[in-house]
Amino acid sequence: MAIPDLIVDRIATPGVMAAKLLLPWGSATDGVGQRGAHQLLAATLSRGCGPFDHRQLADLVEGRGAGLRSDAHEDGLLISLRCTTEDAQELMPLLDWMVTAPHLATEQLELERSLSLQALQRQREDPFHLAIDQWRQLVYGSTGYGHDPLGVSDDLQRLDETVLQTLARQLTTGRSVLAISGTWPSSLDDTLLKRTGEGWQDTTDAPPPPPMHWMSNGDGDLVMQSIDTEQVVLMLGQPCCAYGHPDDLALRLLQCHLGSGMSSLLFRRLREDHGVAYDVGAHHPARAGAAPFVLHASSSAERAELTLSLLHQSWHELSSQPLSEADLTLARAKFRGQVAHGRQTCSQRAERAAHRRGLGLSDDHDHRCLERMESLQPQELMEAAQRWLQTPHLSLCGPADALKRLEDHWRQLQSSAATGSS
Amino acid sequence: MELCHAVLTSLLHGPALDHWTLPNGVRCVAAEMPEAPLTCLDLWCRAGSFTEAAGEEGMAHFLEHMVFKGSERLEAGAFDLAIEALGGSSNAATGFDDVHFHVLIPPETSQQALDLLLDLVLHPALEQESFRLEREVVLEEMAQYADQPDELVLQQLLKQGCPDHPYGRPILGERSSLLAMDPEAMRTFHQRRYRGHHCCLAISGPKARELRATVESSALAQLPPDPQPSADAINQVEPRGLRLQPGRHTMELARLESARLLMLWSGSTAHDQAWVMGADLATTLLGEGRRSRLVAQLREELRIAESVDMDLSVLEQGCLMTLEISCEPEDLEQVEATVHEQLNQAAPFTAEELARGRQLVGNGLRYSLESVGQVAAQAASQMLWNRPQELLQPLQHLQAWTEERLSEDLMPLLQPSRACSLIATPAGQR
Repeated sequence: MAIPDLIVDRIATPGVMAAKLLLPWGSATDGVGQRGAHQLLAATLSRGCGPFDHRQLADLVEGRGAGLRSDAHEDGLLISLRCTTEDAQELMPLLDWMVTAPHLATEQLELERSLSLQALQRQREDPFHLAIDQWRQLVYGSTGYGHDPLGVSDDLQRLDETVLQTLARQLTTGRSVLAISGTWPSSLDDTLLKRTGEGWQDTTDAPPPPPMHWMSNGDGDLVMQSIDTEQVVLMLGQPCCAYGHPDDLALRLLQCHLGSGMSSLLFRRLREDHGVAYDVGAHHPARAGAAPFVLHASSSAERAELTLSLLHQSWHELSSQPLSEADLTLARAKFRGQVAHGRQTCSQRAERAAHRRGLGLSDDHDHRCLERMESLQPQELMEAAQRWLQTPHLSLCGPADALKRLEDHWRQLQSSAATGSS
Repeated sequence: MELCHAVLTSLLHGPALDHWTLPNGVRCVAAEMPEAPLTCLDLWCRAGSFTEAAGEEGMAHFLEHMVFKGSERLEAGAFDLAIEALGGSSNAATGFDDVHFHVLIPPETSQQALDLLLDLVLHPALEQESFRLEREVVLEEMAQYADQPDELVLQQLLKQGCPDHPYGRPILGERSSLLAMDPEAMRTFHQRRYRGHHCCLAISGPKARELRATVESSALAQLPPDPQPSADAINQVEPRGLRLQPGRHTMELARLESARLLMLWSGSTAHDQAWVMGADLATTLLGEGRRSRLVAQLREELRIAESVDMDLSVLEQGCLMTLEISCEPEDLEQVEATVHEQLNQAAPFTAEELARGRQLVGNGLRYSLESVGQVAAQAASQMLWNRPQELLQPLQHLQAWTEERLSEDLMPLLQPSRACSLIATPAGQR
């Protein structure tokens, strides 16, 4: 039976709870010519299911002051419910119905399609979004991580309703997880214990494996887009290993070292030492496949070359010199802090639990990482960087004249790195 | 009485608060949250952009940056290093009315963190070279905002709606005002605003109350009081009532991908808690969720809007209500006409709508009680402005807002004729 795995985490709250139903069908499983299909499906699931049409469902959820969302991310489709303890029993069945009995009414599907297309259009206003979007296309190409979960306009416009119906039936297959956290009435425990799995398919079907391998799409290691802005957005990175890979913890510590907090290397180097950027960081989300490891910053056009040099230097230091003991100790403390920061609300706790299980990791994975981290040495972090962070790809968005200078500068930096000169 | 059972039940929950005031006027509040994994220390000061004098535009925010550049005792970066080495994090935010600096930290290290935070905020070094370098960072922050069309549109709306009031100015200031500043002027601003009666410290987390003795012997207790802490000065900053300038304005932006309709209204002050809850309820009924009036009409039925957002900003000089709609340029006319129709000829809210709105407002507050950061911020902002109360206390005002009272007292304030409206379109498409 493909009934979702159940994780319960009963904790004291101000009378609230969160439930997360994670299905293994994310945007990485969008088919060819169907980029955006799973997000469109996810959005439409909340527009009518079981005994409720779209209005009745909204009336029920909003009438209880609850929150119900359904979104596709790269590795899964996540349905989230947040409600008060006293409404839990009434609202929890919605999660099951959204998957096993969605209405997918044509007029609601068309509304969501139109909203998705407009949202895609509006995303283009944000230079950071443009930069990460083209970086993603450069490194992942047509593989599952090569597009935003929201999709691509051409594909979305062409998506046939029958495709979504097929994908909807598929949602009841594969290994899914239901995690609940917070405070709920004991009657809900009985309901959860008596789940029959009705509507979930008893098959061995599973989603295709996540994209583990990547290669540049043949356009080199640089992608640029000219836009009429004051700043240039710079994103420098490459895909690396999956979450839970033996090297993952070392890379997470490097991410803490580079981009976590105001004592991080990028913050100190770019912002405090040179004042060339306001927003700097290191993006390294947990992914089932080859996760991006990206340094980012935005600088005024005339200072962008220095910013690029500093990002490039920071990147290459990871694999050329071990962290000092003090830096590693600090990175460990930040990692511990991140775990504690991510356990503040029942929504955070439930989502984390669902993701861990969804990625095939043990429920005590975070605890194990905290233990293992203590014995990781600077040399091991450097060796992980040497294995995974050797081929950076650069994405730039900004004024045309600045881009031209940056392109030349990038070639020089890469050439120097290849010959070992600084 | 039909008032949602959840709202009534929720009054039983919420962390208990301890309020007290130091002899120099500093207000303190502690929220006991025994199960929380972290403690939050949140220091608030009545030193937002509203308090800037002529020539100081942008100083409140720039000072917030400079605070993190070190103190008389801590070198630049030493605070961040110490807090983050303890597994904590810190940040700050500057608003129109106030500024706050907060630290999230493992509970067992909160005494040490409190000492560091107070030293940093109350005794900033404001050194010349740090000042010069950090100004570059703020200029980059300005440039980053200038590249976001949403920010530009909102700033233009505030400028048009509040032309004679500090709320109409960008909190970050202007490039020219920043370039004209020096550390001495900033020190003067700090000494003027960071005084006992202007400050409030909130602590939330496990054993929060146990920090009371530490607070009473801390640098906070040494802060000079306001020389003349009159009742007015305590309850309000120099009173300068907000008078919104109604009107209809247009602008074109090259990098806008869809059109926007924004509307801005002003209302009573934050001190009028009953009004604030009524406005929260009205904006929720109009713009939150698929069944809210504007979303239902514009997005769900007519399908001419991509997003509809309505917000209430609770401010000491007069609250601001904003409506922001994103749509295709060709639908703008119909969107605007429909909004006007909805607001001009609004039928009274039904009992079902009212129940829904009360649940959404009430539960929104209840959900926020899970996080130490949100609890500290809510408790501190109320205490700072002399409104000590339990966190869920404002919900009691909800019951007084009936269908009739909303129609008579609140909806007239949201008439289109009282709004400052801004139509923003992609350049060349209007």
